[in-house]
Amino acid sequence: MTTPALKVTNLSVWFGNGSSRLTVVDQISFSINAGDAAGLVGESGCGKTMTAMAILGLLPESGVHASSDGIEINGRDISTLNAAQRRAVLGRDIAMIFQQPATALDPVFTMGQQISAVYRRHAGGSKQHARNNMLQALESVGFSDADDIAASYPHELSGGMRQLAMIAMATVCKPAVIIADEPTTALDNSTRALILDRLGHLQKLHRTAILFISHDLAVVRQICRDVMVMYCGRLMETTDCQSLFAHARHPYSAGLLSCIPQLGNTRPPPIKSIPGQIPAPADLPPGCHFAPRCNRAEAQCKASVPELDYDNGRGAACFRPL
Amino acid sequence: MNGAYLTRRLLYGIPLVLGVTFISFLLMVYFGPDKTYELIGKNPTAEQITEVRHALGYDRPFLLRYGEYLRELITLDLGISDSNGEPVSSILKRTLPVSIALVVPGFVLGNLLGLGLGLLAAWYRGKWLDKLVMSASVVGMSISFLVIIIGLQILLCTPYGLNLFPVRGWQVVDPGSYFYYVAVPTLALILVTLGYNTRFYRAVMADEIERDHIRTLRAYGARPAEILFKHVLKNSLIPVLTRIMFSVPFVLISGSLLLESYFGIPGVGLVTFNAITSGDQPILKAVVGLTGVLFVVALTINDILYGVVDPRVTKS
Amino acid sequence: MTRDTWQKLKSDRYGMAGLIVVMIFALVALLVWSGLLGQGWSEVTGNRFESISSKHLFGTNLLGQDILQRTLFGTATAFEVGLVVTVCSTLLGSVLGGLAGWYAHGWLDEVIQWLKGVLDSIPFYLFAAAVAFALQGNPWAMHLAMIVTFWTTTARIIRGEVMRIKQREFIEATRAIGLPGLTTVFRHVLPNTYHILLVQGTIVFVAAINTEVILSFLGLGIKDGVSWGLMLAESSQEVLAGHFGNFFAAGASLFLLLMGFNLLADALQDALDTRRARI
Repeated sequence: MTTPALKVTNLSVWFGNGSSRLTVVDQISFSINAGDAAGLVGESGCGKTMTAMAILGLLPESGVHASSDGIEINGRDISTLNAAQRRAVLGRDIAMIFQQPATALDPVFTMGQQISAVYRRHAGGSKQHARNNMLQALESVGFSDADDIAASYPHELSGGMRQLAMIAMATVCKPAVIIADEPTTALDNSTRALILDRLGHLQKLHRTAILFISHDLAVVRQICRDVMVMYCGRLMETTDCQSLFAHARHPYSAGLLSCIPQLGNTRPPPIKSIPGQIPAPADLPPGCHFAPRCNRAEAQCKASVPELDYDNGRGAACFRPL
Repeated sequence: MNGAYLTRRLLYGIPLVLGVTFISFLLMVYFGPDKTYELIGKNPTAEQITEVRHALGYDRPFLLRYGEYLRELITLDLGISDSNGEPVSSILKRTLPVSIALVVPGFVLGNLLGLGLGLLAAWYRGKWLDKLVMSASVVGMSISFLVIIIGLQILLCTPYGLNLFPVRGWQVVDPGSYFYYVAVPTLALILVTLGYNTRFYRAVMADEIERDHIRTLRAYGARPAEILFKHVLKNSLIPVLTRIMFSVPFVLISGSLLLESYFGIPGVGLVTFNAITSGDQPILKAVVGLTGVLFVVALTINDILYGVVDPRVTKS
Repeated sequence: MTRDTWQKLKSDRYGMAGLIVVMIFALVALLVWSGLLGQGWSEVTGNRFESISSKHLFGTNLLGQDILQRTLFGTATAFEVGLVVTVCSTLLGSVLGGLAGWYAHGWLDEVIQWLKGVLDSIPFYLFAAAVAFALQGNPWAMHLAMIVTFWTTTARIIRGEVMRIKQREFIEATRAIGLPGLTTVFRHVLPNTYHILLVQGTIVFVAAINTEVILSFLGLGIKDGVSWGLMLAESSQEVLAGHFGNFFAAGASLFLLLMGFNLLADALQDALDTRRARI
């Protein structure tokens, strides 16, 4: 049993405290092995981004709290590190790719400066050494004119190029884990394909574990081996992509799948076929969160919370899986 | 940084300069005191009146007189002071350095401190440090300039206080005496502007800290010092620079006006103050016209600096 | 003011404290105006520089006038100056700003912008002096000078708001109906901006009072009556000889009123800022 690259145990994120506590992420656990890519899928507001921020330890911010029983990267628990130790880890052992590269990059510094800075911060060494690594990183994402890109400011690059540059920043220190938060949502189809291709290529090259966050199952399928479906802060189903698409076990996953237009159009699926609406964090139903909208729900579903029930490595949090 | 951008900014300043000089001309010269009777004496005859008016140029058409004013400003042919007969340009040459020496330390320190405090408050936003800084700023803003000056005088310059510095005067011959005379005015200037500066800079920095690219920096392990001083500052440079550039003419003129008339320091402000109370037109004409021009220059330099500091600007 | 703005305001302790302070001062001003307080500001009722006593709570000044009376009257002066300047400059700024915003990028807008730039460039105290000259010492010269220069910030804000609101559909609708442009501006757009005007109004009030103080020191302030500015100007020499009456009375009153306004302005701004949590 190899040590997973990323292992998250009972991660929770909430606002407020005591009786006015709003739970956004509720005790989720998962692990990803080196070289594997796992998708974290769910609709907007289900807690995906919060999960990512919590893993990086960038919470607490004002009013938002996070806790876990362990966030391990290659066996080392980073959730108990102090600020300085954590800063050493962020960018070196685990890196994040953000959704909107236009705003996520600093507008007054060139790409080269920003990427080199990340490298120097963690690996030290001379400016020249950092520059070489930076250029290498840019080339490895597919830029043939790395010098030009390095000298450009973010606003001078197109959306796709910015995202590729962002990927270069994430991979320059060859981290063990990369979290990609909706990296292709803001891009058009052809650019999306390019990004996914490059990401996949790098992943195999460096045997990076990728946590790919998206609301788009079709996109996740292209790059991830495993997938986790999230709803209202809880994991509903975790399995490999093939199995999910062949036969989803959780009613919610099945619902999501049925919303994907058949012709391979990768626009985000509107949830028309699942009746009802996503409850707000303040109005979460007791028992299984999905019960009110589920046509297979019974009394048991409303009374108690189903655990992720594993069977051949596939799990569904449901008392009556499909 | 291209020539087209530069030219555009410069051209834009011209209507402003014209406007400012026009208004100052209107107020100072056209509506200003009528000197005819001063020069004549008692029981003037009609011919004498016309003669003097002609000599003074009062009978010339409006636009011509305005043009005359502009010419005087451009060529710095500013006439002669009414009060002591000294040429205005030499008065300015004598007093301007004094005003600058007076105002610069307070201005620089007031802004530096304001930046530092604003940065601190923005970083620890919502925590006790922030609240402390903001409360102090509000208090600072609520104390009138005059109260601060008088208060400082009592505290530092009189036997009722520490009596360390002089109440007025400016006999500066060496750095020691410079410090001696500039200390209290500088302190006053800092105290007055600190509250406003801190609040402004804090707002700018707090805004900047919220931005996504700061989150990216954190996600890649950047230290707080690096985030603040390298990234937040550089991104905030535009509003910071704008504020500084815009406040230079004002601090120089208004600040020196008050400080000098209060502390009896022979700078442009004191000269202007005396000119106000005695109605010395040539001086007032010159000062108002020149400050207006100074402001427009500051505006233009500011726009040019935008282009230097923010790579996004010149592309448009 | 809407219900929850009022609620938010009420919950801000400092803001409420500020409001109460301002209202107390306003009350004093009203009482002075109606002849019930501070009427003895110019009477000589004692010897020079008497110290605090039961007869003269704040002592007397150089001429033997009661400082307390003068302080009370000064409150009325402060409010008079503040109100006149605030109301007039807000009106002027709203009208010009509204016009500029409605006809944005047109010739009227450019003219108004240019005017703003010019007025902002002229050093204020010199301008005030010039106006005082031009008006041959008219007691309203000071107010006029302030109004003519203070409207620019209001105008800038209103112009921005008008341009923003202009985008919204309901304005398009009124245009489609064919209401003349100007009427639309005044009737529909301005009422939506009153909240910003309120905050800006408090700021202008503070600026007006502060300016009056300095103008009085320069000899360009109010001509008849007494103000805190005049008292402070008197005190500048007096304190060197150890007479602090004027200084403390006027200085403290000024500080309290300004502090009250600043706290109120802050609280108002926070309460009206719907976009995000307290800064």
